[in-house]
Amino acid sequence: MRLTSRLGSAGLAVYFWAFVIFLFAPLVVLLIFSVNKSATPTLPLSGFSTRWFHEAFGNGELTGALLRSIAIALIAAVLSTALGIMASLGLLVLRGRAAALALTVLLLPLVVPYICLAVGLLILVQEVGARPSLVAVILGHCVIVLPFAILVIMPRLRSLDPAMNEAAQDLGASPLAALRLITLPLLAPALVSSSIICFVTSFDEFAIASFLAPSGQPTYPVFLYASARTPALLPEVIAVGALIIAGSIMLVVLAEGGRRWAERRLVGQTAGSGPLTAPDSEQPATFAIGNG
Amino acid sequence: MLVLPPVLFVAVLLLLPVAFITLYSVGLRTNIPGVPTAFSLSNWSDFLTGGGSAFRGRFVYSMEIALLVSVAATLAAYPLAYFLSFVARRRRYALLLVLLAPFFTSYLLRVIAWQIILNNDGVVNSLLWTLHLRPKGSAISWLIYSNFSVALVLFYTWIPFVSLPIFVVLENMDHRLQEAAADLGASRAATFWRVTVPLSLPGVIAGFVFVLIPTTGEFITPLLVGGPNNQLFGNSIQAFFGDTPDWNYGSVLAIALIVVVIVLTLVFGRFLQTDLRTETRPEQ
Repeated sequence: MRLTSRLGSAGLAVYFWAFVIFLFAPLVVLLIFSVNKSATPTLPLSGFSTRWFHEAFGNGELTGALLRSIAIALIAAVLSTALGIMASLGLLVLRGRAAALALTVLLLPLVVPYICLAVGLLILVQEVGARPSLVAVILGHCVIVLPFAILVIMPRLRSLDPAMNEAAQDLGASPLAALRLITLPLLAPALVSSSIICFVTSFDEFAIASFLAPSGQPTYPVFLYASARTPALLPEVIAVGALIIAGSIMLVVLAEGGRRWAERRLVGQTAGSGPLTAPDSEQPATFAIGNG
Repeated sequence: MLVLPPVLFVAVLLLLPVAFITLYSVGLRTNIPGVPTAFSLSNWSDFLTGGGSAFRGRFVYSMEIALLVSVAATLAAYPLAYFLSFVARRRRYALLLVLLAPFFTSYLLRVIAWQIILNNDGVVNSLLWTLHLRPKGSAISWLIYSNFSVALVLFYTWIPFVSLPIFVVLENMDHRLQEAAADLGASRAATFWRVTVPLSLPGVIAGFVFVLIPTTGEFITPLLVGGPNNQLFGNSIQAFFGDTPDWNYGSVLAIALIVVVIVLTLVFGRFLQTDLRTETRPEQ
């Protein structure tokens, strides 16, 4: 017996697609108003125009905030992924209470509310005699995305065969060379995912940036928030927002496509069904495994 | 000892700030010039039992909204995950991606989009005017700056994320148990309520906590779509560190929020932990 009746399946499908419409509707609204002539986003639509895109990219404050956020997110992604690699390698060899304690500390940023971390960092900056700065924003972002990096990298690291690293070292590679030549390339898919997740999270982060970005140097979300309360700036914000939404959805699709492609290749190599072994090949399948 | 640098990094940039907030909350440090620093629980007693009833009310209101949103999102997400796992079958990962895609776009932009939809001259109202269903200029009063708008936007934000842990649990379920139930004469409904639902509870609770914890500290959505009466506890904290700074009182509220979230995590931690283990141990 199937778990759901035919009618139940149809009902669930309708429910699912209704929800997809609900989830995408606000995004579509932004896309529509980004090319709407009128300065106020209201119905009826007033005709097609690319004016807001031109004005948005002519607005130095907006593009400045955008570039600032991209730079911060890039640095935060690289730094937190590097820290994530170190943490994952370190956690792999730790045992017992030390491992539990280290993991608890490293994942703690997941549960501390961003608003609390933001005001805490503001206090810390003041206490060490510094002023709010973009460096403080980057460091704050690294803290909140580090758990994501670890949660992406660690499962991949655990799934690697330790024998490969040992073999490299038996053949004369130093531990560092084995890490560079064997472990890191095998981790590559996880490192890419981790960087993307960290980049996207940092790029979008508001709470910490709103407290730590200096007043003349807003990040993109801080600028966005200020503009959302200024009707005159709203159409430009919508235009750039539409581009970002289209871009991030494309990124998600590309990342998922790339992951599947990489997985298929890996599966193909290890299962002997890769392009090298045709179905009628006389070579035994184990030959491919030996090479893969 | 590779683990030391990242642990120190989190210690300096997370534990140290929390330690400083604690010091501020008991008056051992202050940002107000001229005020002597000395250990004092006056801010704490004001918040917990004294004149700070406005903040206690704000706290209760925040927890109510967070609970309402978490329960609603979990209930609404279950059929989505169930559809993906048991009906969509072959296309389930592609469809999961469709469900999750909005979650990967800017949070702030999605809130702004809702602001445009719900505004007094926004999409919903102006659509009703265009269709002559309401007299032009008369907006539905509860559509924005209300409990409804805050709860709706939070629900919208988190629902894709809740469906994920439920989907994972349904995927990893031993389907022979459901077959056995059917073989032993259970109807579809009985199989669902007495086998599938109990077995999926860890994912349901994980999803519930995944919404509850972030919404407890939420403050951006009420700023954009909430009115003065719909501000959450996070907004109270923000105000004390913003325009009218009183870091000492703000620190009391911040520590209270951290304690609540940590208690929630400990209470529900068992379920989150099992999730983490299955994720990190591929051999299981």
